[in-house]
Amino acid sequence: MTAVVGIDLGTTNSVIATLENGQPWVIPDEEGDFLLPSYVGMTDTGQLLVGQAARRQYAAAPERTVKSIKRQMGTDYTATLNDRTYRPQEISAILLRSLKQRAEAVLDEAVTQAVITVPAYFTDAQRQATKEAGEIAGFEVLQILNEPTAAALVFDVNSEETETVLVYDLGGGTFDVSIVEITGDVTEVLASHGNNRLGGDDFDRQLQRHLADRFFQTHNVEVPSDAATQARLLQAAEQAKIALSEHAFTTVREPFLVSQGETALHLETDMAREDFENLIKPLLKDTLGAIDRALEDASMTADDIDRAILVGGSTRIPLVQHLVEDHLPNTPVTSFEPDLCVGLGAALQAGVLSGAEVETVLVDVTPHSLGIAAVMDTPMGPMPGVFSTIIPRNSVIPTSRSEVYFTAMDRQEAVDVEVFQGENPLAQENVPLGSFRIEGLPPKPAGAVQVEVHFDFDLSGILTVTATEKGKGQQNTLVVNDAETGRLSSHDLRQSREAIASLFDLPAGLDDDDDDADAE
Amino acid sequence: MSDSHDLLGLAPGATPAEIKSAYHRKLKEFPAHSHPQEFKAIRAAYDTLRKSPQGLDDFFAPKPITADLDKALVTQLEQRVRGSVDVTLEDLILLTF
Repeated sequence: MTAVVGIDLGTTNSVIATLENGQPWVIPDEEGDFLLPSYVGMTDTGQLLVGQAARRQYAAAPERTVKSIKRQMGTDYTATLNDRTYRPQEISAILLRSLKQRAEAVLDEAVTQAVITVPAYFTDAQRQATKEAGEIAGFEVLQILNEPTAAALVFDVNSEETETVLVYDLGGGTFDVSIVEITGDVTEVLASHGNNRLGGDDFDRQLQRHLADRFFQTHNVEVPSDAATQARLLQAAEQAKIALSEHAFTTVREPFLVSQGETALHLETDMAREDFENLIKPLLKDTLGAIDRALEDASMTADDIDRAILVGGSTRIPLVQHLVEDHLPNTPVTSFEPDLCVGLGAALQAGVLSGAEVETVLVDVTPHSLGIAAVMDTPMGPMPGVFSTIIPRNSVIPTSRSEVYFTAMDRQEAVDVEVFQGENPLAQENVPLGSFRIEGLPPKPAGAVQVEVHFDFDLSGILTVTATEKGKGQQNTLVVNDAETGRLSSHDLRQSREAIASLFDLPAGLDDDDDDADAE
Repeated sequence: MSDSHDLLGLAPGATPAEIKSAYHRKLKEFPAHSHPQEFKAIRAAYDTLRKSPQGLDDFFAPKPITADLDKALVTQLEQRVRGSVDVTLEDLILLTF
């Protein structure tokens, strides 16, 4: 039997874990490090750098180094490394392939099946891009699993009593909160909420701006906006942030940050933890609002939560712990392997899916509502473009739902079914997933023709929409997110896979110095 | 006995705790990843039983009508209408005379 793996593809760090006798464990690299920094770079001679080696060159060569690519997943952003541009899924695929090689080297066998995690609040397009990244890296993606759900799977509750757990997951770039009920080996997600653009990266940038302000106050000179200087400042900010989780004060030193004529100007300033907390407090307040919204969706109050679990590197910040504790006054708040827990849970789920050496049952929900644009009668007359929800957010998946709609005009010949994902009452304000048309409707007065719209949402997030005219039976179907309508064709996928694979073949085995260790 | 009771292997009048543990038993038998159709039916049955715990007792009791008015939608509608009849007092005076 070949090994299966679970992968936490993070904004700042990534983790790969596997199972042995039903127990998950994280696979370290050659130096014993569990975390792969989510950095991809090229040397000036075109050699691929992944992980620590790419991270080390970031401040010196930001134009040849990509970080935090997870934030761009599902967008048409491209990164340029030397002479080629890469889509976000390709950069992610490089990270995944590097993890795959690490696992194959340690386990000494081929690794092809994987569960990859994403933030619970990721949209359809972001999930699809992640799945494509897995395929480009040469994996068969068993499931795209929600991160807080994966974390919850790691918590064994050895009693048949139901325990209600709130998972607060604040990572490098994304935030999720999930409310999970654990009864023995059944893990049920009741509600998820989050923010796809909130995490440690934002705290770094706040601090980066603050350090630039301080530099200006000291020297009366602006920090230049060029990429290299800003990259140094950003790394200094990140280091200061990490130091302030341990200590109440830290000194930020970036000698020779700016040169003015003959003189070099240094950044040297003392930061108090309180200064940093004041910078990020407004951002963290949003996470407390998300807790309330998740509780509301689960029809619960803070008192119903038996315990809260903090996951993700940013939960090391003491202020995060304090805010969550104050917000849930009677709930014990604990932290457990904040960096590794998601990867371990992904490995468990991979075990379940590949042939059950693990007795765990998982019930998850979809975090966003799905529906179509419809005309609504209002006191001010008919209003088009109203979002009519068919699958409400936090529905258990897989699920199938139908709604019946009526024609809006006399002798209406066709209806356009436009599918959206989101929570805004105006359809156009939500994320469009696709559209199709049903033609040849019988010529009847408005409201006399019925069209049934059926949504089928499966475990991998593939949505199939079928619309049927109830009289004559005119029918049309749209499959959102399958191989046919996905963002990349199978031809593109194959090309990407070959291109990424060849990057790895170049340096492999040619030399053994430290910087190549991650890329092998 | 309802279909939902049938599907979960429950007798009428099952307590919420019994309903939940029957649901969990069925989940283990028919996990979502390998038995999606069965899973959906089990989940639908569970939702039905969970949401009508009082059963037939007060079936004939009058039930209040509830209507949810989406405040966000009303506000946006209002803004649209205001936007489309954006007439200043000055314009109005000029038009009238």
